[in-house]
Amino acid sequence: MRTVNLESQKNGTMSKAKEKSAKKRVVEEDDDQLPIFDKDVTEKKAGEEDDADLSDSEESVFSGLEDSESDSHDEEEDAEEGDDEEDDDDAVILDEILTKSSGVETATEPPATDKNTPTQPDVKTAPKRKMKKGEGVAMDDGGEKGLITTRHGDEYEHDTSDEEDIRNTVGNIPMEWYQDYPHIGYNLDGKKIFKPIRNKDELDEFLDKMENPDYWRTVHDKTTASDIRLSDEQVDLVHRLQKGQFGDVNFNEYEPSVDFFTNEVMIHPVTNRPQDKRSFIPSLIEKEKVSKLVHAIKMGWIKPRKPKETTPQYYDLWAKEDPNAILGRHKMHVPAPKMRLPGHEESYNPPPEYLLTEEERMAWEQQDAEDRKLPFLPQKHSCLRAVPAFSRFIHERFERCLDLYLCPRQRKMRVNVNPEDLIPKLPKPKDLQPFPTTMSLVYIGHSSLVRSISASPTGQWLVSGSDDCTVRFWEVNTGRCMKTLEVGGAVKSVAWNPNPAVCLVAVCFESTVLLLNPGLGDRLVVSSTDQLITSYEPPEEDKEQAVTWALSEGPEHDNGHRLTLTHPKAVKQVVWHGKGDYLASVMPDNSSNLQVLIHQVSKRRTQNPFRKNKGLVQCVSFHPLRPYFFVATQRYVRVYNLIKQELTKKLMTNCKWISSMAIHPGGDNLICGSYDCRLAWFDLDLSTKPYKMLRHHKKALRGVAYHKHYPLFASGADDGSVIICHGMVYNDLLQNPLIVPVKVLKGHQITHDLGVLDVTFHPTQPWVFSSGADATIRLFT
Amino acid sequence: MSQLQTRFFTDNKKYSVDDVPFSIPAASEVQELSNVINKLLEAKNDCLVCQCDLKRVLCVLQEDVVEIEYVERFTAPQPEECMMHDDWISSVEADSEWILTGSYDKTARIWSLEGKAVMTVAGHTDVVKDVAWVRRDGLTSLLLTASLDQTILLWEWNSERNKLKARHCCRGHAGSVDTIATDPTRTKVTGEEEEVEEPPSRPRKKQKTEQLGLTRTPLMTLSGHNEAVSSVLWLDSEEICSASWDHTIRLWDAETGSVKTTLTGSKVFNHISYSPLCRRLASGSTDRHVRLWDPRSKDGSLVLLSLTSHSGWVTAVKWAPSHEHQLVSGSLDNLVKLWDTRSCKTPLYDVSAHEDKVLCVDWTDSRLMLSGGADNKLYTYRYTACETDAGA
Repeated sequence: MRTVNLESQKNGTMSKAKEKSAKKRVVEEDDDQLPIFDKDVTEKKAGEEDDADLSDSEESVFSGLEDSESDSHDEEEDAEEGDDEEDDDDAVILDEILTKSSGVETATEPPATDKNTPTQPDVKTAPKRKMKKGEGVAMDDGGEKGLITTRHGDEYEHDTSDEEDIRNTVGNIPMEWYQDYPHIGYNLDGKKIFKPIRNKDELDEFLDKMENPDYWRTVHDKTTASDIRLSDEQVDLVHRLQKGQFGDVNFNEYEPSVDFFTNEVMIHPVTNRPQDKRSFIPSLIEKEKVSKLVHAIKMGWIKPRKPKETTPQYYDLWAKEDPNAILGRHKMHVPAPKMRLPGHEESYNPPPEYLLTEEERMAWEQQDAEDRKLPFLPQKHSCLRAVPAFSRFIHERFERCLDLYLCPRQRKMRVNVNPEDLIPKLPKPKDLQPFPTTMSLVYIGHSSLVRSISASPTGQWLVSGSDDCTVRFWEVNTGRCMKTLEVGGAVKSVAWNPNPAVCLVAVCFESTVLLLNPGLGDRLVVSSTDQLITSYEPPEEDKEQAVTWALSEGPEHDNGHRLTLTHPKAVKQVVWHGKGDYLASVMPDNSSNLQVLIHQVSKRRTQNPFRKNKGLVQCVSFHPLRPYFFVATQRYVRVYNLIKQELTKKLMTNCKWISSMAIHPGGDNLICGSYDCRLAWFDLDLSTKPYKMLRHHKKALRGVAYHKHYPLFASGADDGSVIICHGMVYNDLLQNPLIVPVKVLKGHQITHDLGVLDVTFHPTQPWVFSSGADATIRLFT
Repeated sequence: MSQLQTRFFTDNKKYSVDDVPFSIPAASEVQELSNVINKLLEAKNDCLVCQCDLKRVLCVLQEDVVEIEYVERFTAPQPEECMMHDDWISSVEADSEWILTGSYDKTARIWSLEGKAVMTVAGHTDVVKDVAWVRRDGLTSLLLTASLDQTILLWEWNSERNKLKARHCCRGHAGSVDTIATDPTRTKVTGEEEEVEEPPSRPRKKQKTEQLGLTRTPLMTLSGHNEAVSSVLWLDSEEICSASWDHTIRLWDAETGSVKTTLTGSKVFNHISYSPLCRRLASGSTDRHVRLWDPRSKDGSLVLLSLTSHSGWVTAVKWAPSHEHQLVSGSLDNLVKLWDTRSCKTPLYDVSAHEDKVLCVDWTDSRLMLSGGADNKLYTYRYTACETDAGA
């Protein structure tokens, strides 16, 4: 009720503040009306002396009041019907206010009261209307005027009327709408309210402001277009409200409170009503509820609360951290380089050789500090106790910190390559069969290292030459030594004539090349070979030749010797041409051009194809199909065209020292073994550089060989192993050869650091023979 | 110890036991099993040594009643004689009384079964690679020797007077003659064979009639192999079988000389043998396996079984003349192995008498097993087993 009082006080006082508060309320309640009242504000401001600052405080005050007011209204509304008495109370209090304000009203605007007189019955309803509709404040203002005159009429007479401006019935409309009319509205009787004739312009306003001492307390009422001068009391009221005080001067807000009930314990109860029976009887409802709960628990519908986990929960703050982020750099921590550990120089009692002599000390002192080998002088102390404090400690720490600070440390970005990705995709050796896998036969008989082996074109026999000055012929499939021939020196090289119609074996030892007829195989071939040799007729004009050809006779002939070619120098290698008529021999000599000789057996002719010495010749070979001749010097392989007599190609092997060479039966590929453990595969059509370098052997390669039919090649080395590789050459020129190492064959003992000395393939089967320094020949199948 | 229900059975009626289950300890070994069977047999028969096939025991363990097949045990071949030669023994063939061996000392020798040298057949100018008996008429025998000197000599030998006469020299091969075979009728034909000459001209195989005259030429040349022919034999009087280094076994029609079937393997064949009892071919090749073939299969390249235990080339195989499951093989790993084709993983016996490569093996009808090799020794072994099977 108190708030209502306040409201009515406000209403009664008709002050600027009231207007303002009204505006505020409008702002709160209805946004649509805002612009209108803003205009009012601007209008008012022109005549206002109060600062906007004041209005702020007003706002806070009134808004608070307003809230409480509305609350109380709600309460009242609940009890609206039956609380007539309270309404009466309202009326009484309102009356009090009105008595106060009525004086003002009458003083300032007696006509207004007159006008409003008929509206007296509305007075009582004002608060209620507000409660019911929550309408705009402008009407409150109107209501205030009505309130002033309430007491004179029957307050219940016009209880139904809604809240209207009693003096001006146009309602809550912008008053600008009446600008063009002579009136500004209608009074309750429907008569026009005319605008005052005097129309104040700006100048009047200003003059008024300057001259009228009451200007500051004059308020323009738009609805009636009249100026109202506030009385002193009203001004006081406004001031008090602005200060947040109660509007009523006489109101004591600190009155002592009187308890409704005493706080002292009395011996008698407040009420003497006996206790209800239900307070002694167990509640049936409760019982029902409890039994329901019990049932639910029994049925498992309600489960006991899980005890809260007492273990603290931790969250991994860094779980989602991006390792590449800048923060991740602490993971990329680069440890500081370790300091050098103290050596003997730092010892307190260094060995005397670490102590500097006098000259050294002088030199040390004269040196620049940066040039000094040691940053300090090694000193000798008799005991650890006598060691003084290290004077350079701070200095040293500082330098260390400086080093760590200034020295840029960064992680080298390594390219992460999976090593397995670098391995080319090769077919599995299992799919490349057949190739030799196991050792099957050992040909035992030689007593010294077997330098060279060669298989007969039929594959039934094998010839081997050894350092024990013998040449042995073996039956391949049993390992039987069929024949042993003594020759006059350690055999360097043997070669079976590749022509199956000729049964000849070339053997070289010392400076001799011997052509043998082993007498193995078809008798017809053997005899025709002998016939071929004996049928030679010397040419009429005898030419001087580099070698002497001699026909063997007597016991030598019975042994199988047929022709002896005596060379001027030691012969290292003999090799047949594929047709079996030509034979090349190699006499390595660095200082002469007479290194390679080509012999023609049928005509017993010898010629030296090269005029110049191009280096120490290691081995030579004939092209299997075309008239090419391969000469391997220490580092290069030269390919000569024998018909055109010119150099066709020079292959750079990238090896230090070539040991052996083999030509692919197709003639377009070549392998070179070298003493520096490398095997180079050349594709003659591709390049003069190796197509592939294989470094599978641990030690120097001694022999390489191609298979005639199968795509296989083998290399033997001093590590005692033979490595079989699959080397497929395609007819398609665009496809490079496929080289896959398939097998390492071991078996030879390493004797005098020599392992396998020669390898050769069986002409028809995928078998490989290897001869070793352990005086054996082994067959791998 | 848990007991196991077993039922013993055998194919051999003579040693059959009652078809009732026996309960034996589950951990019984072969020896114990054979003891059980021997005890059972003792009731009705005289004592025998039995051999149980242990593998079969293992594979039927899930059943309620384990069925165990048992076969009579062969005692280990007992080395009997050792005949020393002067050089490697390249071939051996025995008939019921005499043993003929060819040697690398260019001679062939005739031995009695007791190991007594009876005769030396000298006449070849090179290594004798194969020998064969042709027939025997009473005391007179015909025999063949094939040699590296590309000839085959037909000899007539009178065992009583111990006189030897060279009847014919057969020429026609362009390489060494590595193997010969005689017609099973032993009447008129010998098949023999040679080593490659040139790759383009295929090796040939020849057969000859025994006609009079000093030098014979081939009756027929069987051409088709690309490489050396390593072994020939007669399947019957109309079919010749040859094995070659070109990884094939070919069956020829003896009448027309045309190829009937080609069986293709993956490795070089060293030797083949045929058993008329089980009608299978056994081949020894340059890998470690002895393979069994069915020569009648038309689709070729069908390996029935491979017997794997050798560690070197198998140089010789020979079926038992009197037992359809047994064969003997010799290998470069110095071992002679006796096989039962019913257990292909392990041989029945390893005979490790030789100190060097085994090059030839043979059986006699009279319970002797022969093997010769690069240690110049010809061993004979007595195997006492299968008199019942042999029906001798």
